[in-house]
Amino acid sequence: MTDQLVTAPVLVALVSIVLTLSLRRWPRLQRAASVAGGVGYAVAVALVAWGVVLAPNAPGAVAYQIGGWPAPFGITLVADALSAFMLVVAASVGLPAVVLSVLFIDVDNQRVFYHPLFHSLLLGIAGAFLTGDLFNLFVWFEVMLMASYVLVAFYSGAQHTAAAFRYLVLNVIGGVFLLLAVGGLYATTGTLNMADMAQRLADPGAYGIDPAPVFGLSALLFAAFALKAGLVPFQFWVPGAYRAAPLPVSAMLAGASKKVGIYAIIRLYFTVFSGTSASASVPWIADGSPLSVLAPGLLIMGVASVLVGALGAVSRDTIEGMLAYSSIGQVGFIAVPVAIAAGAGSEELRHLGIVAALVYALHHALAKGLLFFSAAAVRSATGTNRMAELSGLASRSPALAGAFFVGSLSLVGVPPLTGFFGKFLVFATAADGYAADPAVGSGAVLLVLLLGALLTILYTTRAWVGSFWGPKTPSVEAATVDRGQVAVLVAVAAAIILLGIGFDPVYRFASAAADAAVDTNGYVDAVDPAGGDGS
Amino acid sequence: MKTTARIVVPIVLVVAVSLLLQGHNLPGGGFIGGVLTTAAFALIYVAYGLDYLEIGVLGREVESGTGIFEHRSVTAYKRTFVFGLAVAVGSGLAALAFDEPFLTQTYTIVEHVPIYHEIELASALVFDVGVYFVVVGGLLTILSVVGGE
Repeated sequence: MTDQLVTAPVLVALVSIVLTLSLRRWPRLQRAASVAGGVGYAVAVALVAWGVVLAPNAPGAVAYQIGGWPAPFGITLVADALSAFMLVVAASVGLPAVVLSVLFIDVDNQRVFYHPLFHSLLLGIAGAFLTGDLFNLFVWFEVMLMASYVLVAFYSGAQHTAAAFRYLVLNVIGGVFLLLAVGGLYATTGTLNMADMAQRLADPGAYGIDPAPVFGLSALLFAAFALKAGLVPFQFWVPGAYRAAPLPVSAMLAGASKKVGIYAIIRLYFTVFSGTSASASVPWIADGSPLSVLAPGLLIMGVASVLVGALGAVSRDTIEGMLAYSSIGQVGFIAVPVAIAAGAGSEELRHLGIVAALVYALHHALAKGLLFFSAAAVRSATGTNRMAELSGLASRSPALAGAFFVGSLSLVGVPPLTGFFGKFLVFATAADGYAADPAVGSGAVLLVLLLGALLTILYTTRAWVGSFWGPKTPSVEAATVDRGQVAVLVAVAAAIILLGIGFDPVYRFASAAADAAVDTNGYVDAVDPAGGDGS
Repeated sequence: MKTTARIVVPIVLVVAVSLLLQGHNLPGGGFIGGVLTTAAFALIYVAYGLDYLEIGVLGREVESGTGIFEHRSVTAYKRTFVFGLAVAVGSGLAALAFDEPFLTQTYTIVEHVPIYHEIELASALVFDVGVYFVVVGGLLTILSVVGGE
C-alpha cells in the first residue's frame, strides 16, 4: 500500500491537469477541480510523509519502480525522509497558493490555462523531489520550468514578456549545462540511477571507473542548480520574474521552485557523490570528495546572496520588489548552512547544517509565501503595491495587517514563530563551524549572517511602517478587502505560529531528513539496484 | 503543390498510423506517428490554405471575422490534445487498478484471427494512442494559430 502511495503526489497533479483542461468550458467547475487538486496534493503529500517517515513503524525510505522495470534500468521514484520533507515544503505553499489564485486572479484570466499550468508546476516540483534517476531529474526540472515560463509571461504585457524571455534564455542555458553534466556522468559511471551511481562512485575500482571527471561534472551540475536556486551570481533573473508572475505564482516560485535547486544540491552532493574520493590526477583539490570542492564555492555564493538580497531589498519601492530581493537573501541563508555542512569535519556539524537548511527552507516557504499572498491581497484591495501610495492599511484591515506582521516577524526571526528556529539553527551551525575551525573566513560568515539578519529587520520594518501605519492614502481609503483572501492569509499565519509553538515534531522530521540525506547506504538499500552486484 | 499534396498526404497518413501501431516493440510510436500526421496536415495547409479542411473536406461554413482561437479547427485540435492527455494518463492509472506500478504494461496474443492468424494486443498501444493525440492536437494548434496570424 505504501508502495503505491509514493506516486500519489505526481498522479494527483497529473489528474488535476487533465481535469482542469477538460473543464475549461465550465469555469466554476474548473476552479473547484483546481482547488480539489490542491487539497488532494496536500493530502497525498501528508500520506507519503506519514507512511514513509512519521508513522510508528514507517520504513523510512520506499522505492517505486515505474512500470515495473527494475532499477537501475527503469525509472525509480524514491520517497525518503528528505524527499518527504521537501514535498511538505512544496505542499505548504501549493495549497494556499491555489486557493488564493482562485480568489485573486480575475475570472477570465483563470480560464486561459492558468490552472493546468499551476498543476504542471506542482507536478514538476513533486517529480523532482521524488525521482531517483538523474536524467529523470532533468526532465522534471524542465516540466517545472516549462510551466513557470508561461506563468511568468502570463499577463503578457511588455515587461512580463521581457522578464519571461530573460528567464527562459537563462534557464535554457542552465538546462544545457545540466544535460551536459548528466550525459558526462553517464559516460563516466555507466548509470543514471542515483543509487547505482552512489554505489559505483563509492567503490570505483570494482566497476572500472575513473572518478576524476565527476569533480568537473559536479561543478557543472552545481552551476545549473545554483541558477535554479537564484544564488549570487545567478540571481539576476529573480526580481524580474517574480514581479512579472501573478503573485500566487511568485509565492510558488520563491517558496517551492527555488527549493528544488537546493534539494538537488543536497541530494546529489551528500547522498550520491559523498563516497567519491579524489585521485592524484586532480590537482588543487586537497582531499576527499566533491563535497570539499562544493563547500567554499557554495559558502561564498551563499554569503554574497545574503548581502545582495538584503541590500537590494532595502532600496525597493514596491512590496513585491522587496520580497523578490529578500528571497535572494533568504536562499543565501539556506545555502550557507549547506556549505558549512559540506565542509564540516564532524558528523554532528554536518547533520546540524542540513537540519538548519531544511528548517529554514520550510520557514522561508511559509513566511515568504504569506508575504507574497499579503502583497496579492493588498494589490487586489488597493490596485497598487507601491509603498509610496500605500499607508494606513492597518486601520483599514487589521486582519490583513496582522498576517503581514506575522510573516515579517517570522522572516526577522522572532520567537516563537518558525522563523526563529530557522534563524537559530542557521546561526548555531555558523557558530559551531567557527568553533570547529576558528579562521577569519568562518568568523566573517557569522558577521555577514548577522548583518543580513539586521537588514531583514530594516526592510521589513520599512515595508510595515510605509504601507500599514500612518494616515490612510486615497487608494487605501477606497480599498475593498476580500474576506476570502484574508481568510487564506490568516490560515497561513496560524500555521506559522502553530508550527513555531509545536516545533518539536518539525525538528524530528527535519532531523530524519538530514539523516536520510547523508545515509548513502540506506538510500542504496531502499532502491536496491540489481546492477549493483555486477549481475 | 496541390498535386503533390494529393498524392503524398494519404501515403504519409498511412505511414504515420503504421508507425503508431508498431511503436510498442519496433521503431516508431505515438510521438513520431503524431509528428508525421501533423506534417501531412501542414502540407494540406500550405497547399490549400487554413480553411480548406472545414470548407473543402467537411463541407462546413467558416465564420469569418472571429479570432483564430475561436476557429472551429483550432478548438477541435485543443479537444484532441486534452483527449490524448486523458487517454495517456488513464492508461497509466489503469495499472494501479490491478495493483501494479504506475504505467505497467502487458500484452496478449489473440490467435485464430482470419488473415492475420494472430495479433498481438499490447496495452502500451493505448498509451501510444494517447501520446499520438497529444502530439497531433498540440502541434496542429500551434501550427494553425501561428499560421493564422
